[in-house]
Amino acid sequence: MGVKIDPLKCTACMACELACGYHRDDAFALLSSCIVVYRTRDKKDYFGVILKQEEDLVIARPEGLEVKRIGAVEEGGGGDASAKPMLLREACDLCSDREAGPLCRQICPVEAIYLD
Amino acid sequence: MEYLASDRIAIIDLASGEVNEEPYPDGLCQEKIGGAGVNLALYQQHQDGEPIVLGAGLFTGSMVPGSDLGVVTAKSPLTGTVCHAPLTQYAGMELKYSGFDYIVIKGAAASPKYLWVHDGIADLEDAADLWGQDVWAACEAVRANMGDELIQVLGAGPAAEQGSDLAALMINYWPSGDRFGLGRALAAKNLKLIALRGLGLLEIAEPEDFAAQCLELLGAVKGGAWAGKKGLADLAAGLGQQALADWLAPLVHRHRASFNTPFAANTFLFLEADPSQLSEPPAPEPGVLVGDLAALAGLQGLGLSAAEAGQVLGQCAHLGLDPAGVAAAAAAAGVKDAAGLMAGLATIKGPVPGLSGPLAPAAPAGALFGLAQSADPAWRARRQALAYLFGLDPLFMLMAPELSEEKLLELVGLGIGLEIGPEALDAAVAGIG
Amino acid sequence: MQARQAYGEQAQEQAAPRPAARGPRLGVYCGAGSSHSWLWLADTCEALGLGDLRFLEAGEVASGGLSGLDALAVSGGDTFAMAGALGPAGAAALRRFIAGGGLYLGFCAGAYLLLRSSKEPLNLFNLVEATIANLSRRLPQPLIMPEKFATPYGCDYVFHPVREALILRGQGGPLGEGEFSAPLYGGPAMQPAGPGVEVLATYQDFSQATRFLAPRELAAQTLLGRAAVLRGRLGAGVMYLFGPHCEHPRFAQANRRLAAILAEHTPSQALAPDGRGLAELGPAQARRLLSEVRRQVSNSRIVALALEDHPARWRMGGKVYEPAKLRVFLEALWSRTGALERARRLLVPAGAAELPALLAGVTESIRALRRELEEGQETTERAAGLFKDLRRAAALYLNMYFATAAAGALRPGRARRLH
Repeated sequence: MGVKIDPLKCTACMACELACGYHRDDAFALLSSCIVVYRTRDKKDYFGVILKQEEDLVIARPEGLEVKRIGAVEEGGGGDASAKPMLLREACDLCSDREAGPLCRQICPVEAIYLD
Repeated sequence: MEYLASDRIAIIDLASGEVNEEPYPDGLCQEKIGGAGVNLALYQQHQDGEPIVLGAGLFTGSMVPGSDLGVVTAKSPLTGTVCHAPLTQYAGMELKYSGFDYIVIKGAAASPKYLWVHDGIADLEDAADLWGQDVWAACEAVRANMGDELIQVLGAGPAAEQGSDLAALMINYWPSGDRFGLGRALAAKNLKLIALRGLGLLEIAEPEDFAAQCLELLGAVKGGAWAGKKGLADLAAGLGQQALADWLAPLVHRHRASFNTPFAANTFLFLEADPSQLSEPPAPEPGVLVGDLAALAGLQGLGLSAAEAGQVLGQCAHLGLDPAGVAAAAAAAGVKDAAGLMAGLATIKGPVPGLSGPLAPAAPAGALFGLAQSADPAWRARRQALAYLFGLDPLFMLMAPELSEEKLLELVGLGIGLEIGPEALDAAVAGIG
Repeated sequence: MQARQAYGEQAQEQAAPRPAARGPRLGVYCGAGSSHSWLWLADTCEALGLGDLRFLEAGEVASGGLSGLDALAVSGGDTFAMAGALGPAGAAALRRFIAGGGLYLGFCAGAYLLLRSSKEPLNLFNLVEATIANLSRRLPQPLIMPEKFATPYGCDYVFHPVREALILRGQGGPLGEGEFSAPLYGGPAMQPAGPGVEVLATYQDFSQATRFLAPRELAAQTLLGRAAVLRGRLGAGVMYLFGPHCEHPRFAQANRRLAAILAEHTPSQALAPDGRGLAELGPAQARRLLSEVRRQVSNSRIVALALEDHPARWRMGGKVYEPAKLRVFLEALWSRTGALERARRLLVPAGAAELPALLAGVTESIRALRRELEEGQETTERAAGLFKDLRRAAALYLNMYFATAAAGALRPGRARRLH
């Protein structure tokens, strides 16, 4: 079971990022969150969500999902996915201490996050 | 203030270049709540310096649904009275996490400056190279210099530098919803822009209970009449303006929400790319973000096509003009075509109708998504005031009566560990007029 | 609400108990060849209640910096580079320090450093009669992280088949006999090769968090049952060599065992004077210094955060660095900013005056690095300089912080969390 993201439903409101940060810090902050809305290309309206899992980075782009195995060697031998992306953020633990499950899923106002 | 705050107020004197700090006392929050309430108190305290005051609301940046709002308080060059302009998108949140709860900017700089606010530091930087640049170029230059595209830039464009009545305060590339000409107020201080970035942390008095209440509120809010709707076309339709929705629809790319705001009130129009394209468009500037239904309605009312309106909106964004004000001024001047409007943007003049109080209306009149209360001017005025005190999205506050005053006051206790009662709230609302 | 199990830690693990009130005066090596893991020692020791830490460059080790210390900890990095930087004088100083009763704690590269080796310049050390057990002449294809998979060692390779948390089993002594977990980031499995070398813990099993760079069976053959922690003796001194990073602050079980070792080696006599000629700054000077530190660390970490998922990698000597590591250094400073700003007074060792300029240079450099990465330029040299400056800045800052802490000048109570 894992957190899944529908990037086309996402509205980049960052509620998931806020909720995850709260889960980590018992406070409101965005630095510890393992789910991050990438929103640096706002001039092009190109946004999505990155989720750090134990072994993978899930990149939910508008055109589809990409799962990068952390540290994996890419075809052609170049290697792309860093061995330590988002090093200081812990991987998703599915909010295992919450009966209601992942807080990001619960707080998403547009049901863009679900469990699979 | 220990909770939901950084406990710092920055006082910046542009004339001397001095930056001072004060703590944010509990009593000020208990009396004025936050946002526009505290901004106004600080404005009055420093009014000799004709200040521009930036402040986050009590719940800005928190888990309360709709917590996107920061507030800019200053004397409007348009009305000559003190006004409060909204900082939505991500700007209010960034201000809240910037390490300062409030920023008072007084006096005027001798030469062009910009203010770089980050993690409890406020640095005045030279802006000679930025002066004269359009809004987009200045935003990109600052972000490139500082090395981060997430920096939120509150800027004045060339229109402001040239003293236009309609020069709005901009957020990054886009209009902020400022209808009061605060871009011009900024430029009059020789201040080109304010760049904000904060990696801060807000402690909560009762974290678990506060979060639980927020989730409960969200659950209630999600059942509202707006559920399942996104963007300005749906908003127009929800106000009964189906023709406006249909006019806009062919250009709509995606919808974006402001920080932690359930309803995505910003719609991106693709003008130089196929709106159905999902991958990153190759065009560097494929379109324009619109968050102001009044602006769209005004431009449609001039007889422009949606594409023409998009071009006008894009040009307004570059120049730093309030597009709703531009549409209204164009209508008053009898402008009927896009070419004429575009040609006259640099010199267009006010007045801007509908600015009778210190807050600009968040939505055109009428019932939103059939919500009868939202058509009542008195109810609207009260909800707007609450939004500007608590730091909640002004438009969403009109859609979500579930965010009741009782619930908000209950959250105050859980969030900051201080009690604020209904009487104090009434007084704070009255205080901002 | 905290969820700290991502590294394989046991949920029911209690916070590590604090050792004896004073604890040993601990030197931490932060000189050439060290990576970022020495910063973990600052966090862990502070959490364990050990406030008397000082951070030493290679030259300081060689030129009397060990004098007055009870213990020296050397954490991860490039062992060859460390040995080269320490050189014959450093090796001799280290030998004297241990033989004179000093405690040595070596983690990962710090463990390799003292193992028996004929390779130059490692052969300057050879203080523990044990060898590297994870050597291989032929390597399989790496499953992931090829740059972390193996390190050339003469005609052989030091082979790293797994990373992240493993289960260790104590074999008695200060580590006890139970199981505990600790992360392995290229550290050795070891083989005692002489009398007096004790195996204190072995690699027992993999954990859910273990990541396999080689097939599991091969990893098991390479590691399981082999020595993970050794103890050797030299004169009056003791050396503990840890393959895994038991000093990693997220591993409370391992930290607790580390605390037990430190408690065992806490001298009973009163602490000697600091001996570094610390200066006390006046309030205005202190405010100016700390304000400038806050300004520049904030500027730098904003850029570092923007780079946190950038795929760039830089090979520097035998180690590979990623942009995400920039933040590790900066957070070590940032997390202590609030406490220092609240301090009653500020004690600064020699060199602290250069901190603002050094950090301003870091800001400039990290911004330039980001621009160059965006433009697709070669950035290894820039990154190497940046990490060197960050290491120096962190050492200066932490020396100031722990000197202030050791003088009792930090105010009690938690400083405002800055994140």
